[in-house]
Amino acid sequence: MNKILLYFILFLSSNVFADQDKTINLIVENCKSCHNLNKQVTKKIPDMNNLEKEEFIRLMTKYKNDKDNSVMNRISRVFTDNDILKIADKIYGKK
Amino acid sequence: MEKNRSGRRKFISNTITTLAFLFLANTFLLKRLNSKTRPKIVIVGLGIGGATCLQYLNKISNFVDIIVIEKQNVYQTGPLSNLVIGNILQRKDICFKINKKKYKNVKFIFENVKRIDVENKSVVFSKNLKVKFDFLILSPGISYKNDILKGYNVSDKKNIPHCWDGESNITQFKKRLRDLENNSKIIITSPDYPYRCPPAPYERATLIANYQRKLNKKVKILILDSKNSFTKQENYFREWQINFRDEIEWIPRSKGGKVIFYDQKKNLVKNSDGQIFKGDFIHIIPEQKAASIFFDSELLNDGKDWCEINPISFEINRFKDIYAVGDSIDAWAMPKSAFSANSQAKILAINLINKILEKDYIDPVFLNTCYSFSKEDRAFSISAWYRLNMTKDKIISLGSSESNVYANDNDRKLEAQHAIGWYETMVNDLFM
Repeated sequence: MNKILLYFILFLSSNVFADQDKTINLIVENCKSCHNLNKQVTKKIPDMNNLEKEEFIRLMTKYKNDKDNSVMNRISRVFTDNDILKIADKIYGKK
Repeated sequence: MEKNRSGRRKFISNTITTLAFLFLANTFLLKRLNSKTRPKIVIVGLGIGGATCLQYLNKISNFVDIIVIEKQNVYQTGPLSNLVIGNILQRKDICFKINKKKYKNVKFIFENVKRIDVENKSVVFSKNLKVKFDFLILSPGISYKNDILKGYNVSDKKNIPHCWDGESNITQFKKRLRDLENNSKIIITSPDYPYRCPPAPYERATLIANYQRKLNKKVKILILDSKNSFTKQENYFREWQINFRDEIEWIPRSKGGKVIFYDQKKNLVKNSDGQIFKGDFIHIIPEQKAASIFFDSELLNDGKDWCEINPISFEINRFKDIYAVGDSIDAWAMPKSAFSANSQAKILAINLINKILEKDYIDPVFLNTCYSFSKEDRAFSISAWYRLNMTKDKIISLGSSESNVYANDNDRKLEAQHAIGWYETMVNDLFM
């Protein structure tokens, strides 16, 4: 019983994605399902290719905090602020 | 200027990543290839799952042999097919041929596969020709249960086509729908879980109502459901209340929705209470199971309808070097959707590359977003992230969430745009 409780507490207290670099890479692979990160193929989805890194972080943080149930709000609400920074690093490179 | 700088930075970053990848791939693969011949990867099925695997494995196509086997050279997507039925898109808008120029090291074979010869690691074609593999990826879609609904045979051409896969005759379906007279009654039977694209029966009913209204015809659509609830239910109820209050009625299993008998000649179905429903257009959406190749090749565990896999590698349980992805697998919490298949196939391909490079597997993360339309400019969605459980033997959801039931017209319109945008991005990546 104690063991189950310990697992449960660990589960709740950790980041949902454990904040590992490899996991971040996979998250970005999933972003590519809607956002082509090499070229703009549609005008119906916001283009991330011409965004600056800071703007990306600002937008993602806004989506996460908006609580408007938009697609991006629902997708980003599981991220920590650190997840968002790491996703930005992966897409736009580290400065 | 800023945009140029950003683009340049990105180009340099992408080039470095690609060069580093090629260097590492070379180093690891040469080590492996010194001791063994070039690995041969065979992909069966070029739908969303198979094409995604191909897209990712193509990155190492200089070092491995890749063969793709598909029965048709034109692929009709499941996603957006309800928009074709609802006369919002044309069939040509959802049909694609693979762009072979993008995959110049890949061999394509357009043939029917008969079965997998597990012992000899080969794919057997209908003409008894064989192709050997070191690694096999199966992404063949689904098949149908023929023993659930008495009187109904899936392959009977006189039935209204189910249109649940690219093989079904969507043009004939539309013609019969267009020919319906005013005040016709349409019956749609919705299958029990699990099945491909859970919200699609309700989207189809809604878009048929929308189409009939444009034809100035009044119809009554009765959805007889084998289930007591369905995904995005509240959003559908809201859309029906706003736009199709008089046209669509949903009957859950608990109120007689489970259909057990079909009479094609008399145009009627009977439910489990013996109640009879007559219709002018009876559209049976059949109960589903894994594609027949899994049964014919004895790749399933006893009594199972779906393929059981390892959630990290997607290797089929008990069958080394044979992998499965997409709608035929039991993916635990993940629904059978194109987005799921796309996300799963990325992990399969990445971890297969890791295996070939003799690197550790990466613990997967998956995403699903499933859009549904109620009109050409109104859509809503459900999304969830997925990861492994603590014991790493199943996929769990981090919690799914839907669009606001009371979303305004602009939000519905924006989601309709996003749905088409997701589709355009995906088919561009995979097929163009």
